[in-house]
Amino acid sequence: MIFSTSNIKKNFTTGEVSEEILKGIDLTLAEGEITALVGSSGSGKSTLLTIAAGLQTPSSGEIHFDGQDLGALSPEKTRQIRAESFGFVFQSSHLVPFLTAEEQLLLMLETAGSPLSTKQQRQEVEKILDEVGMGHRKSAYPASMSGGEKQRIAIARAIVHQPKILFADEPTASLDSTKSREVMELLQKLTKTLNIATLMVTHEEDLLTYADRVLTMKDGRLA
Amino acid sequence: MNLAWKEMKKSKTKFVILGSIVFLISLLTFIISGLANGLSQDNAALIKNLPDGAIYMETAAEETHALSAIDMETQQAVLLEKDGAFAFSIQMGFLLNEQDEQQSVAFVTSTSSAEFPDVSKDEIILDRSLEEQGIKQGDTFTNSQFNGEFTVAGFSDGVKYSHAPVAFVHPNNYAEMYRTEDLQMLFVPEAAGLEAIAGLQSFSVDEFLNTLPSYSAEQLSLSMIVWFLVVISGMLFAIFFYMMNIQKFGLYGILKAIGVKTGALFRMIWVQMLVITAIALTLAIVLSQVFEILAPSGMPFYLPISTTLQLSAVFFAIGFAGATLSGFQIRKAQPLQAIQQGEG
Repeated sequence: MIFSTSNIKKNFTTGEVSEEILKGIDLTLAEGEITALVGSSGSGKSTLLTIAAGLQTPSSGEIHFDGQDLGALSPEKTRQIRAESFGFVFQSSHLVPFLTAEEQLLLMLETAGSPLSTKQQRQEVEKILDEVGMGHRKSAYPASMSGGEKQRIAIARAIVHQPKILFADEPTASLDSTKSREVMELLQKLTKTLNIATLMVTHEEDLLTYADRVLTMKDGRLA
Repeated sequence: MNLAWKEMKKSKTKFVILGSIVFLISLLTFIISGLANGLSQDNAALIKNLPDGAIYMETAAEETHALSAIDMETQQAVLLEKDGAFAFSIQMGFLLNEQDEQQSVAFVTSTSSAEFPDVSKDEIILDRSLEEQGIKQGDTFTNSQFNGEFTVAGFSDGVKYSHAPVAFVHPNNYAEMYRTEDLQMLFVPEAAGLEAIAGLQSFSVDEFLNTLPSYSAEQLSLSMIVWFLVVISGMLFAIFFYMMNIQKFGLYGILKAIGVKTGALFRMIWVQMLVITAIALTLAIVLSQVFEILAPSGMPFYLPISTTLQLSAVFFAIGFAGATLSGFQIRKAQPLQAIQQGEG
């Protein structure tokens, strides 16, 4: 297993009240597989995904990636792993507003320390944009894109540097059913062809057919 | 990838508005400083324009130059011994023109000197501001304490004292007007060597200015105005650059989430701060210097480029501190926290 978590707990404290959102989660992800995380609102699935992705720290527990305990690494090393080996698709695409579609992907390659030359990077970006059906929109800024287009660019950005893990937090939340299916087919194709371990949070049961494994969360625990 | 530049290029209007605020604040500070310096110059340009050196007056005068009278023997001894030294006196008074209209002036007389013009008997040399008021070479004036007539022999630039234009007169005419042969003060340039002189008290130019009650009180008020303005402008700069970045917390969160280095985020913050500040301050400096040239002649305005550069350095430093502080906040936040704060 390329990725696993062990006894992950997360407490949130508001004033004097402390609430345990995650109550000891053990999770494994395998390459070439989409693992869907489902559960009712407030069950802790998004919190688990963001902790697994290193976007916030757990209160306790361990996260292992490629044989390394992420909690024991320096912030710089964690950042490096996030940049090189993780990809993210957020609920709302969270693109950088002042970069074109092409630049969003080039930034990701630069951040990941891609060994490709500038010319090769541009070719790679064009290839990925074509794959997500956005080749014709490479010069477009996020403000001029539809919700579906933004999400496709967000997916392209998440995989352009060929990450080992893809974290997707309700990637189709802002899309209609047709666009949702298109995005899921794309995620499924990329997971298989690039041999990525994908962890996806969703509350849409229709989309579970695209997942290889479905994990259900309830009250901060995996059922 | 130059994120700072790409953002500024894409959001030109936003950054032009931000830059305009910095420009207006700095221009305001420069103009007010120029006016304050102008008033200060207007009060004491005659003395301020003297080179480094010491002004001596009688110890018994207790720091009031009008009460000082340096005896001829001491004066001659100093003038003989010190190269470039000269004796001088200043008294407020007025001139009457042919239509009996009064013009307040500061009468100044001196022994031969490189700093003040030499004036022939019964002639006066006036501050240039009076020429701009219509007085011409050859015009004549009288004074109630003087039996003859003064003829305007020429004009001298930037010689004001106690907000009045200076009128240089010959020592004999001065002696007749003020019934004294003794001059009030001695000026000895630093290069000639500054030593204690028996019976005389020595002052640097700045110390001498502070003995003038009107000058020191006015200077306190003007300094207070300028420093309040500089401090408040500086704080505005710091808050401005801090807020500019804190408002983009969400964006920095996204960049952190995808793994952009903190160093790159700091570079983005600093480059934007430096570009905005440099352009705004350059425009403010140019405009304030143009204002100095075009300002009405009667308006006391004095803004040397060195003053604007010093103020600019202060603004740069404070702006940099504000921007850096916001960078630390961004560095401290976890990516998700930054994204959520940006959304909130």
